[in-house]
Amino acid sequence: MSGKTRVIGTAGGALGLGAFAAAVGACCGLPWAVALLGVSGAVALARLSFLLPYALLGAGGLLAVAFWWVYRSPAVCADGTCDTAGRRPLRWIVWVAALFVIGLGAVALTVG
Amino acid sequence: MQVLSAAIVAISLLAAASCARGDGSPSPANASATPYTVLDDQGSQLRTDFNRNVGSIRLLFVVDPICPTCLRGLADMNRDLLAGTADPRIHTFVVHEPVLGLARVAPWLRPAGGEDVAKAEQLLHNPNVQHYWNPSGAFGRLLSHAVGLKNSEGPVYAWDVWLLYGPEVKWEGTDPPRPRLLMHQLGTLGSSTEFPHLDSRAFAQQVRASLAQLPPLATPAPAASPQ
Repeated sequence: MSGKTRVIGTAGGALGLGAFAAAVGACCGLPWAVALLGVSGAVALARLSFLLPYALLGAGGLLAVAFWWVYRSPAVCADGTCDTAGRRPLRWIVWVAALFVIGLGAVALTVG
Repeated sequence: MQVLSAAIVAISLLAAASCARGDGSPSPANASATPYTVLDDQGSQLRTDFNRNVGSIRLLFVVDPICPTCLRGLADMNRDLLAGTADPRIHTFVVHEPVLGLARVAPWLRPAGGEDVAKAEQLLHNPNVQHYWNPSGAFGRLLSHAVGLKNSEGPVYAWDVWLLYGPEVKWEGTDPPRPRLLMHQLGTLGSSTEFPHLDSRAFAQQVRASLAQLPPLATPAPAASPQ
């Protein structure tokens, strides 16, 4: 698996967990759940609320892994001879994902 | 790692799908909706019904019909207590009021309406349940004042609260009487020792204990039809 795929997959996983946390966390503070999911859907969503801290922790962990991958020095570049400019887009992706996850986490923790 | 990410996304999608409509959730079309009573700000209709059933155990649930946590509470009460009995010595009153969104500061913007009551009431399968809709939400303030629902910052609006009244209690005056037990699902109440967090099994146990102190029925109460 290429490094690019790994980083994008990890950042995407963090975003997915952040979105799930926001949906579960905000389900009880915003009047959308019954309209979108129906009564039994809203009940099921409320039953998943115990997963909120785990989802946030998981998202944070995945982001940490993604940051480690994009900022670590590969062993073959230990002497500083490698060109790291090619990693810049990946770093941008991880930073943007991190901002989104922080926003989603804030929604999850404050709206509910 | 890609597999892990895919698994996480799949779990999220599955969770969302399990919540989605079409999983047997009741809809207005197939509902045998029980009519509800529009409750005035003094709770007059509720007071009349409450006092008419002196001598029986009375339960009062106050919920927002579009609040998922409240709906989960109703579903849990149904599972742990109401669906399993049709005992006429238990009467349940459910007051629905608009709370979520901007309902409390701008009632004209309230997202919950009477049609949501009809959907929420399908969660309770028991012949002795009466539903009320208080569109102004004033009943929450009345109840909060009556039972002393407050935290360190002041009064806490009464919603998502679950009350148990003994058979002797009569509603006299304007304020609802104090209950034998009040449980809640309100973060604003914190870890109140006076009012525990809702535990539907513990609540059901308390109801059964109260019921055991009443004279037995002449004929055994039938079980509620399973739904």
